[in-house]
Amino acid sequence: MSGFLVEARDLHKVFPMPAGPVVAVQEVCLTIDPGSYTAVQGPSGCGKSTLLHLLGCVETPTAGTLLFDGREVGALRDAERSRIRLNHIGFVFQRFFLLPMLTAWENIELPQNEAGVARAERRAHTQELLEYVGLEQRAGHRPSQLSGGEMQRVAIARALANRPRLLLADEPTGELDEATGEQIGDLIDRVHADGTAIVVVTHNPALARRAARQLTMRGGRLVGPA
Amino acid sequence: MSSLSFAWRSFTRQPARAALGVAGIAIVGALLFDMLLLSQGLAVSFRDLLEGVGFDIRVTADRFVPSRASMIRNGTEVLTRLRALPEIEDAVAVRFGRAEALHSGGAHVLVNFMGVDGAARNTWTVVEGADLPIDSDAAGPAVLVNRTLARRLNLSAGDSLRLRGSCDPRRSAMPAIDFQVSGIVDFRFEAAGEYATVTTLSNLLRACSPTDRDAVTMFLVASGPDVGPDAAVRAISGVLPGLNPFTNQQFVDRLQTAEFSYFRQISFALATITLFFAFLLIATLLTVSVNQRLGEVATLRALGFRRKRVVADLLWESALLVGSGGLLALPLGAALAFYLDGILRQMPGIPVDLHFFVFQGRATIVYAMLLAGTGLLAASYPVYLAARLPIAATLRREFTS
Repeated sequence: MSGFLVEARDLHKVFPMPAGPVVAVQEVCLTIDPGSYTAVQGPSGCGKSTLLHLLGCVETPTAGTLLFDGREVGALRDAERSRIRLNHIGFVFQRFFLLPMLTAWENIELPQNEAGVARAERRAHTQELLEYVGLEQRAGHRPSQLSGGEMQRVAIARALANRPRLLLADEPTGELDEATGEQIGDLIDRVHADGTAIVVVTHNPALARRAARQLTMRGGRLVGPA
Repeated sequence: MSSLSFAWRSFTRQPARAALGVAGIAIVGALLFDMLLLSQGLAVSFRDLLEGVGFDIRVTADRFVPSRASMIRNGTEVLTRLRALPEIEDAVAVRFGRAEALHSGGAHVLVNFMGVDGAARNTWTVVEGADLPIDSDAAGPAVLVNRTLARRLNLSAGDSLRLRGSCDPRRSAMPAIDFQVSGIVDFRFEAAGEYATVTTLSNLLRACSPTDRDAVTMFLVASGPDVGPDAAVRAISGVLPGLNPFTNQQFVDRLQTAEFSYFRQISFALATITLFFAFLLIATLLTVSVNQRLGEVATLRALGFRRKRVVADLLWESALLVGSGGLLALPLGAALAFYLDGILRQMPGIPVDLHFFVFQGRATIVYAMLLAGTGLLAASYPVYLAARLPIAATLRREFTS
């Protein structure tokens, strides 16, 4: 065992397109330590989100090796990758992607339910997470009744529902104003301080500066620190 | 949150669409249910009518449906031989004829005129007055009339009725005979608006004076309780090989493959079309629903929900749509069947108690299975869409859309 939470070796991701293959990620070598905080910056279309999806076991690499907790992701079946995502990885999206027919409480409770967490524990943890993100008064509200910042806080609470070891955030402040973005940045700092490894992809330099390690991508390659 | 609860929330998130979908399934389901009832309804109803008479075998000269053109010539001898068979409990000779009922006011009404020799069991039900006297011939000619004729001629039990028989087309008009109306009855096989009478076979012969006095239209036979109709039919065929004995079931089977086959074919064609529409409706509703929620499905998958959980959610949603619409279809179908039955039963010559749509447990089970199968099949494409969804590409597309 290497001791890395995630280890990428010479990672490539190519999308076949009618007009010809698009190389989204190439020659990426990267390690994520448990409890670390990494920010990835770069221009639009440079492959940041694809890299995040690879690290989050949503995509499988076209070439190269990706190890999550020592297990080669490319060799795993879909159900096993799903299990890793459910139990070890939390996702935060720019557009929140909360389920609109569920309340904040239910959105947070849903992944725990899928993971088979017992009802009493689920309820206690959901309450704890709502308090953690400061939304205990909004538990019964649906996403349409929440502000952008509140929705992102619910999304972060949902990402933390199964106590992940890695939190992946794709432009988490992209839809928010500066002040709200700051609050979300503070919340992510707190998650990191509590021991969760963070990888955040962002255009927001203020958010990127919060990370201990800042990387830059261009043309699908990691070209070094920002 | 279980798959069922999740499917319920997804299903009801757009109440108007859900209500329209359920209404569509209910209407299509009602039509399907009715077609299944129609496919066997006539046969079931006809069998009930036949069995309700109390005889389980009929013996005719050569056809399933008796007629005046096809008679059993030596009726007395045949009846004696039938009654002598140990497999047979009872046998009754029946002859059909026509008569002219002459009203005191001068009105003439043509009536169906039936003569029976023996206890006719439940061939009719007395609703006023008394049944035919046991020794009707000695007491003077008695006759039973149906309610339609009684109303037409304003007859009550005890009144007199003049009948001029017409059982033999080769004979000229016979003199009219005065009968006493013993009672008013409902005939089990009478059609709406039909004028019908019944008397003893000997009184019918007196009124008609046919050339073939020993001819009989058919025999109604009851098999012995431990014998059964099939064995009794075999016994009859053994001793009377020139005749055509058949059980009620054989009669119904023959009707199903011949006279009733139009209804079966129509119901099969319409049921198939209805199922196809149900398939299209369910598939369209679920596909639209999935297409509108691709981002949510991709999010769930990104959060770690397995394919089979997403598939289960969609199958439950399909089950909710088909289940609620299908349940609503049952009372709707029953009401529609009642209405259509009323229309079809107005056809001339149809027995009043014969129904085209008859509720059957089997039809309900077949209906449920067909609808469930269609729901499952219709869900397969949207399920495939959701299960094979490329997670990252869908999230990207949702982000840029």
